[in-house]
Amino acid sequence: MSIAADTRPVLRLSSPTATRELYLFIAILLVGAGFTYASPYFLTPINLIQTLRAALELAIVSAGMTLVIIMGGIDVSVGGILAVTAIVIGKSYQAGLSSFLVAPIGLATGTLLGTWNGFLTTKLKVPPIIATLGSMYIFSAIMFIVIGGAWISGLPGTLSPLVNGTVLHIPASALVILVVYAACWVLLRKVPFGRHIYAIGCNETSAKLVGINVDRTKIATYALLGFLAGFAALLYVARLRNVEINIGTTVALEAIAATILGGTSIRGGVGSLLGTLLGVIFIRIIQNGLVLIGVSSLWETVIIGILLIVVLTADAIRNRNNPRV
Amino acid sequence: MSVLMMRLQGDPLRTRLLILIGLWVVAILVVSLLSPYFLQASTVPYLLQYVPILGLLGLGQTLVILAGGPGIDLSVGSIVSLVGVSVGALMTMGLGVWPACAVGILLGGVLGMINGVLINVLRIPSLMATLATMFAYGGLALATTEGRPIGNFPQEFAWLGQGDTLTIPNSFLFVLVPVALILHIMLTRTTIGRHIVACGNDDRAAHLSGLNVVRLRIGLYVLSGVLAAIGSIISLSWFLAARPDAGKGMELAAVTIAVLGGTHIFGGTGGIPGTLVAILIITTLQIGLQLANISAAWQLGIIGVLLIASVASFGGWRQIWSPIR
Repeated sequence: MSIAADTRPVLRLSSPTATRELYLFIAILLVGAGFTYASPYFLTPINLIQTLRAALELAIVSAGMTLVIIMGGIDVSVGGILAVTAIVIGKSYQAGLSSFLVAPIGLATGTLLGTWNGFLTTKLKVPPIIATLGSMYIFSAIMFIVIGGAWISGLPGTLSPLVNGTVLHIPASALVILVVYAACWVLLRKVPFGRHIYAIGCNETSAKLVGINVDRTKIATYALLGFLAGFAALLYVARLRNVEINIGTTVALEAIAATILGGTSIRGGVGSLLGTLLGVIFIRIIQNGLVLIGVSSLWETVIIGILLIVVLTADAIRNRNNPRV
Repeated sequence: MSVLMMRLQGDPLRTRLLILIGLWVVAILVVSLLSPYFLQASTVPYLLQYVPILGLLGLGQTLVILAGGPGIDLSVGSIVSLVGVSVGALMTMGLGVWPACAVGILLGGVLGMINGVLINVLRIPSLMATLATMFAYGGLALATTEGRPIGNFPQEFAWLGQGDTLTIPNSFLFVLVPVALILHIMLTRTTIGRHIVACGNDDRAAHLSGLNVVRLRIGLYVLSGVLAAIGSIISLSWFLAARPDAGKGMELAAVTIAVLGGTHIFGGTGGIPGTLVAILIITTLQIGLQLANISAAWQLGIIGVLLIASVASFGGWRQIWSPIR
């Protein structure tokens, strides 16, 4: 039980996830090479840009998920937040509101739902998994009751340049992802708020003892995830111009998988945004490549599940002598 | 004398049981007001028909959570689906129904064993491990059948799921009641039961006093898998078809039942009677809302609220992620 091991992730200067990021990058290259060999359509600009657009919402949600998991929490209700927010956005558009009003309404809805999760885990002391499982139930109930089994379709695509446009030949979706990740990186690494997130993830009691307002930081982090899910919902509506009944069903798992693949510790205190971004790219490339080589999309969940088990097992074996885990 | 003192002081589990029975009465009153069809003698067998499948999952979940760790098994719903389609596939390949069921139960045990090893030997947090296996198992069930249900079960197989003895459904009388009785006796009258509670209260102390904590907990995950497999067989026999998404959402209901029934989310406190009353509450609400023709979405919402409320009022004071040892 060495004390050094307990504080290591905070004090270490080089990133503890650097090796993971490197491995993941190599894995992406290898998988990409494999798919290029197997399908002539994989390494084409159109396909890659399409994959990027499909990765947009997941990438944005995963950035927030990374912060929550580093803090030692989890949120399995992001799919529900995304769905409810998309419905609010759809209904607002149908009510004739302009995008200038709808965008803030959507972001506020997401933030509110995230704050609700934060409130449950801090003030009511419900463990994050139970709280967000319950929220997921509640959010999907709200969604089904409001939407009543029908799609909301024919929505305006005022914001679609954010997804489909290009700036100086760079796809706008890449820029959006870049801006979101840069902002989260600044929050996580350059301001006290981010240090507090790491501190709470390492040891909540110590964080409290050194004077961090743990409850406030937690609520803010869950709210931030909600905000990002709201943003993702805006882009979802802009991209597809309708709200499907099965919206957001796999987002939570994919975001958790991307975060864990990217080297963030499920026990909190360790993690990086770059790893998560690579994790998102990895997942989306595998999904895209499988479709291209003609494997049923039903196998996606199996592959993600097995990948998660493999990575968790590898982590467990690597860390078996570390007293912290 | 000491027994008398205990009776006088009141045991927290008994208080919980009384509260739950009160809650059940309230639930019955509410649904009777909602639907004139509920308060009839014919409702009883109808209600009992719905109890066994969820009941078996809830009982397995209770024991897994009770043994601490913190333990949870989110993969039970997926085990129901996967065992169902496996039994269906074996039967289409020419195996008799009952031998196929035996293989299915064995498969349930193996799937549970995988969970147990991942969690207790590799020490992956139970939530993450079973979330991953939930997607792997459930995905396998969907992908191998391409989402199509398997039918053609022989009519005599319906005895278990559709038949009744003295108007009480066979699955309730001959499966759930004996299983619940055996588990209750095991938990309260045998050393294994004491060991489970000891592990849940303080696994370090249990380990130091010579208990094989790892083996015991793996055994409980196996048991949870086996019970899920039996639940799956009841569902097969009821619908005479194996749906690849048969168990979808059941894991959340199972966790809700266990936690609502008074099992502490971090283990050490809980029992079978509470779980049974919790099942009755959930099923009463389910049937009542169905009879009153209220959207199934409300059920989801109510289960979500119950899940959060039952943990919030019971006070989960520690983070589920931080190891208690």
